[in-house]
Amino acid sequence: MKIPASIRLTYRNIMVNMDAGTMMFMLGLPALYLLVLGTMFQSLIPGVPVNNHSISYTHFLGPGIVAMQTLTAGNIGGSMLWSDRRWGMFEQLLVGPFKRTDYLLGIVFVAIIFTLGGSFIMFILSELASGGFILNLVSVSLTIISLVLGTILFSSLFLIISSLAKTMQAYNTITIVLFFVLDFASSAFYPINSSSESVVRYMSLGNPLTYVTDIVRTALISTPTIWTLEEIGIVIVITAILFTIARQLYKSIKMGI
Amino acid sequence: MNSGSRKAIEVQNLVKSYDGKKNAVDDISFTVKEGEIYGLLGKNGAGKSTTIKILTTLIEPTSGKVDVLGFSPSKHALQIKKRIGVVQQAESFDFTTVENNMKVYATLWELPREEAKARTEELLELFELTEVRKTRAFELSGGQKKKLQVARELMHDMDILFLDEPTVGMDPIMRRRILDNIGKRAAGGMTVLFTTHFLEEADYICDRIAIMANGRIKVEGTSSELKSKYGGLRTLEITAPEQPGEAQVSELKNALIDAQLAQDTVIEGKTVKIIGRNITKVLEDILRLTRKYVKNIDSINLRDATLDDVFIEVVNNQ
Repeated sequence: MKIPASIRLTYRNIMVNMDAGTMMFMLGLPALYLLVLGTMFQSLIPGVPVNNHSISYTHFLGPGIVAMQTLTAGNIGGSMLWSDRRWGMFEQLLVGPFKRTDYLLGIVFVAIIFTLGGSFIMFILSELASGGFILNLVSVSLTIISLVLGTILFSSLFLIISSLAKTMQAYNTITIVLFFVLDFASSAFYPINSSSESVVRYMSLGNPLTYVTDIVRTALISTPTIWTLEEIGIVIVITAILFTIARQLYKSIKMGI
Repeated sequence: MNSGSRKAIEVQNLVKSYDGKKNAVDDISFTVKEGEIYGLLGKNGAGKSTTIKILTTLIEPTSGKVDVLGFSPSKHALQIKKRIGVVQQAESFDFTTVENNMKVYATLWELPREEAKARTEELLELFELTEVRKTRAFELSGGQKKKLQVARELMHDMDILFLDEPTVGMDPIMRRRILDNIGKRAAGGMTVLFTTHFLEEADYICDRIAIMANGRIKVEGTSSELKSKYGGLRTLEITAPEQPGEAQVSELKNALIDAQLAQDTVIEGKTVKIIGRNITKVLEDILRLTRKYVKNIDSINLRDATLDDVFIEVVNNQ
């Protein structure tokens, strides 16, 4: 049976990136956020208002950590291009039996696999920490759709940086700063509403992770509304724009100089 | 080797310019027949790697016609890539163990599991990598990384193998072993395009050789054709008890050139090599002049031209 080139490259990306450091970044850090931050802030924050209800901080944080996997896996996916360029494997793979598109799909697919795997583990931890999440066809479908879209969105963002960065220092600085801004200026860790600091509120509204988190949170602890569909629309538009830019920049990466 | 009559690679008037000003490859033409081992020699920046990158579909030529296995790299890249192997000059490896690097490559090239296992064992053994099979590739020495690069590429079958300086950092025994293995594969019909800085390697393995300088092919032919083309070129090796100073040798070189006694003079350790066409006729004059700069002489040896001599002659007289 012929295995498509993009799937073979996905297998390669999994084999090469399943190291302890990547897994710690993917799973260890979010698990610490969930268990340590969740537990510690729960004692300080009496309750978080969601749709006229008050829920525990750990219950609020769980979907945020699940959604955060899109950013983490997107970062890992984008870094693969940088790492392959840095260590000569990009050119080596492109003289192999693949099209350029296969390589790009290999990165996006592995990021989606990492997101879904990591999100599932984070969901189990959240369920153990607070319990009470809604699980039905609509909530699971909505969660998976937003996670897949979010992963393509953030993979595209980091692929853009990988395509443009000229040095290791520049790449590391940009990705670390961006990662923390996207992570903390979003609704993953705290609710963004009219009482939030205006700077943070505007940053958060311009941050795609906020929309991905809101969709996941709505799916798992609330009831989807027309605004949820609008948020999906926003994520689709941003994903399409970033993926188009990433694809163009990726195609124009010069080789052999 | 077992070269056939069909063309595996055909290059006509190939030009590549990166900046639109200087041509990295400047109007070169050559043909490589099926089963032939063709060597591209030249100094760094001569245009060898750029040529390989064009042939392996990585970069587009500025102009000229290129045909690899009957396909144009610009139009039918995938058809070509499915039938070639490439060992690039730059290091390339996955951040996993030596064994996993091979395993991943076997999957990428769709090798059946049992065949992949057998080839991995055979190549790890051949390249003396068995002991480091569980070591992560980035922890290997430079020579071992290069061996892994070559071994990994030989996992799959191919019609053309492109080797861009494949033996850098390897000891002579391993170099010879790799060349013999490649020679064996070429005898079975595989075409090889080979670049190297070790001219004795090209002399040993290549059916035909082209010497490039400044993006152009200066000479082309079999090793013996090149040596005879530069017929009369001989090397006088004068060994001193102590290494002569660079300034002395430089002065000697200029004096010999001014007196039209030699084409070039180089120093290798305690030995001064004087390369010229009519050395036997002017031997006394050369020795008289040499003694002015190299006072004590241990031994004198006169030998025929090697490929090194041809290379130096071609590159220096471009």
